[in-house]
Amino acid sequence: MIDKQIQQKAKELLESGDVTMVIGWGAGSAPFKTTPVFVEKPEDAQKLVWNPACTNNLAVYLPQVAKKAKVAIVAKPCDSRSIVTLIQENQVPRENLVIIGLPCSGIVDDAALRKADIKLAEVQSLEWEGDSVAVTTTGGKVSVPISDAVREGCKSCDTRVPVVSDVTFGEAPAASPSTVEPMDGSFEERRAYWAEQFDRCIRCYACRQACPGCYCAKCFADRNDVKWTNKKAVAGESWMFQMGRAMHLAGRCVGCGECERACPMEIPLMKLNREVQRHVTELFDFTPGMDIDVSPVLGDFDPGDPDPNGH
Amino acid sequence: MIEETTEQTNTETWKPTILGILCNWCSYAGADLAGSSRMKHPANMRIVRVPCSGRVNPLFILKGFQMGFDGVMVLGCHPGDCHYAKGNYFARRRIMLIRELLQSMGIEPERFHFEWVSASEGARFAEVVTEMTANIEKIGPFCGVDCSRTPSAF
Repeated sequence: MIDKQIQQKAKELLESGDVTMVIGWGAGSAPFKTTPVFVEKPEDAQKLVWNPACTNNLAVYLPQVAKKAKVAIVAKPCDSRSIVTLIQENQVPRENLVIIGLPCSGIVDDAALRKADIKLAEVQSLEWEGDSVAVTTTGGKVSVPISDAVREGCKSCDTRVPVVSDVTFGEAPAASPSTVEPMDGSFEERRAYWAEQFDRCIRCYACRQACPGCYCAKCFADRNDVKWTNKKAVAGESWMFQMGRAMHLAGRCVGCGECERACPMEIPLMKLNREVQRHVTELFDFTPGMDIDVSPVLGDFDPGDPDPNGH
Repeated sequence: MIEETTEQTNTETWKPTILGILCNWCSYAGADLAGSSRMKHPANMRIVRVPCSGRVNPLFILKGFQMGFDGVMVLGCHPGDCHYAKGNYFARRRIMLIRELLQSMGIEPERFHFEWVSASEGARFAEVVTEMTANIEKIGPFCGVDCSRTPSAF
């Protein structure tokens, strides 16, 4: 139903010549997967889909394609927040974008489906149905509560409606309060925990590539003139990369969770990103990606900001 | 310097090595004043002079810890006194954030110090360095961000 509306809108936009490309999700290599599609011909608009497997944050492509040409993009609420950050940071002009916004109830997590005793190979289709995700398998239809089927970040998502859009299709589900617990354990335990996590990092930079916030032409991790990280496969070097990345995304990470999904080593990157955001909220009362007209939090200041001397 | 730190680890002679990133116009001049006034303070700090605390890239601080420094200190001009008008205001947001984040990652609050020291505060400079050195001596050597205490070559 919403699929059809998206396809119709994309077709109209391409036929009228208003946009040169529509970025959206298309059917992937399996029914529980989707893949980014770049539609340039009106007749290809039928490739576009919308279902609980539309995980990619498509805003990641915008700095490459939308700087000079007008494009349309299909965006979930978290993607729309990434788009806002990109506009704030002058990476894409708002007038070059047609945003097709889609309210979202949460994106399914493969691991969570497996935990719900669903064999991914048997999945035929996925769709939201009220408070659950309806999974059609070769053996019949199974209903999994949304709270058991979606990704960790989607469970406590307070942005269920795109914050910026030109047209919106679908109904808005209720927002869940977003709460983040501080890191537990003593300092030694925390240090050991992260050393262990980052020890697994193979520095494939998939997290960086999946992230719409990481658009630097030359990443600090790739620089040779200042060697922030060397190529040694040791936890300390990975720590440097991951911490540098976390700081670069501070006050900019919208929590879409794509870095964590892209990570082949299952490093809990969102735990780190959420912790940074918790501090940003506590110190500066700032939520990234909500308003095009405000400056990024670390690119601005207020004389009354928290001070090391506490005044 | 770093090799020296490593060798000293867990011996009785261990003294903390602190990386000090100082603003040229206030804190570095403050350190100078402490010296020319012959004030006593521990000589555990290795100073990097930067044009402004606004120059302090959070990566400097992270790199310091990754290289195995026992502590990192960032000193700048008091708010309102920046030579470049607002560099320290920008620095304040970034550094307050990284200060919190380092604790979340398991680096003790004693190991990172952020403070305003003006060019006339030579005594304050000596006091800050003495205090930080004493605090780090209390908690002992830093085991490294990977908990192995083998700082990699820069």
